[in-house]
Amino acid sequence: MQINRRNFLKFSAVASSALAFGGLGFNLKPTVAKAELLQLKDAKETTSICCYCSLGCGLIVHTAQSGPNKDRAVNIEGDPDHPINEGSLCAKGASLWQLVENDDRFTKVLYRAPNSDKFEEKTWDWALDQIARRVKDTRDLTFEDKNAMGQVVNRTNGICHTGSAALDTEENWLISSLMRTLGLTYIEHQARI
Amino acid sequence: MQGKSFFVDLTKCTACRGCQVACKQWKKLPAEETRNWGSFQNPKDLSFITYKLVRMTEAMDGDKFKQWYFFPDQCRHCIYPPCKMVGDMFDDQAILHDEETGAVLFTEATKNLDFEEIRMSCPYDIPRWDEASNLQSKCDMCNDRVQNGLLPACVLSCPTGTMQFGDSDEILEIAKKRLEEVKKYKPNAALTDPNDVRVIFLTSDNPREYFRYAVASADIPKLSRKAALAKAIAPARQVFG
Repeated sequence: MQINRRNFLKFSAVASSALAFGGLGFNLKPTVAKAELLQLKDAKETTSICCYCSLGCGLIVHTAQSGPNKDRAVNIEGDPDHPINEGSLCAKGASLWQLVENDDRFTKVLYRAPNSDKFEEKTWDWALDQIARRVKDTRDLTFEDKNAMGQVVNRTNGICHTGSAALDTEENWLISSLMRTLGLTYIEHQARI
Repeated sequence: MQGKSFFVDLTKCTACRGCQVACKQWKKLPAEETRNWGSFQNPKDLSFITYKLVRMTEAMDGDKFKQWYFFPDQCRHCIYPPCKMVGDMFDDQAILHDEETGAVLFTEATKNLDFEEIRMSCPYDIPRWDEASNLQSKCDMCNDRVQNGLLPACVLSCPTGTMQFGDSDEILEIAKKRLEEVKKYKPNAALTDPNDVRVIFLTSDNPREYFRYAVASADIPKLSRKAALAKAIAPARQVFG
């Protein structure tokens, strides 16, 4: 179904009466002055990679060099020169600016103890020590030298690991090595899920 | 034809909503408070803070689901915009028509306009209103980006190649060529009002299946006497204005 110009004009009483008067019915002036790219004025461009899925779309991050948002990201959009996405982004990628500039973003470690109903603020040092401590304890507690048939297995089934899609090959190699050294057998990756 | 146009090839749209979010991001528009209303279409409608919305329709064949229709709705930037014709009667600074790009722009002076008149004048049901400030808003074709050689945010973000943007003549050629290709397997395929607007959709079926106002619709503009008067005096304003 295609609507030609004649039909379209019929749809709008505005236009049809304008026709009757032989004019367009409105003044093309005043026109608009050249619009300035205020948002990106003096902004520094940095390329980056989307942190969400395993596709790894290229980004341009615009960082303000002056004004109230100095040194903060003011816009994040797809990088047209990037071979993977050629400038495009999905809904999640297009919202990346909110990931950076967001009042609701957590900036401190929050810890909820077992059976507790509230979070407490902790330091990063405390959190990293806790993680290391618990990995070691769980691993030692669940470590098996031999399976039920007496075969040497040297494994733990008490921990599993899931890698992030944003990890690259080298990072995955490091993580995989560490986990196998600990004796994990359940090693999974988000890109396979 | 001068200026810029969009071509939106709906045979390629997957309703990822990249365009919808890219629009929000570039314009720094706040989120909507929404509720589940039984559809994936979210938010439910365009608003003062949502200029671009992927409309989703589940087409049924009797009781059986037939197919999805996705429609990334936005201002069509009419070549002869009725909203401007009506707006000029109240305040000719309120709605501007950019000569270079053809963008139809709502300015701060839209607070001097009668909202109902403007909304009813639009054959695509686009303008939205903020009650507190009395301002009106809609898509501005990312005029700041376009005038500085960038693509509109929605077009840049489109991952499937559904949205294209460029000089109107070239875009119209692309649209017509693609229509011929699609017609080979979708005989009902159509371009929506290609000679009247700057946002041309290619639909694989009747455009009304996608959205009630996918093509210019006569059932909104019931023009009031005030609006009719605006048209009547418009030629005089051109001479004396």
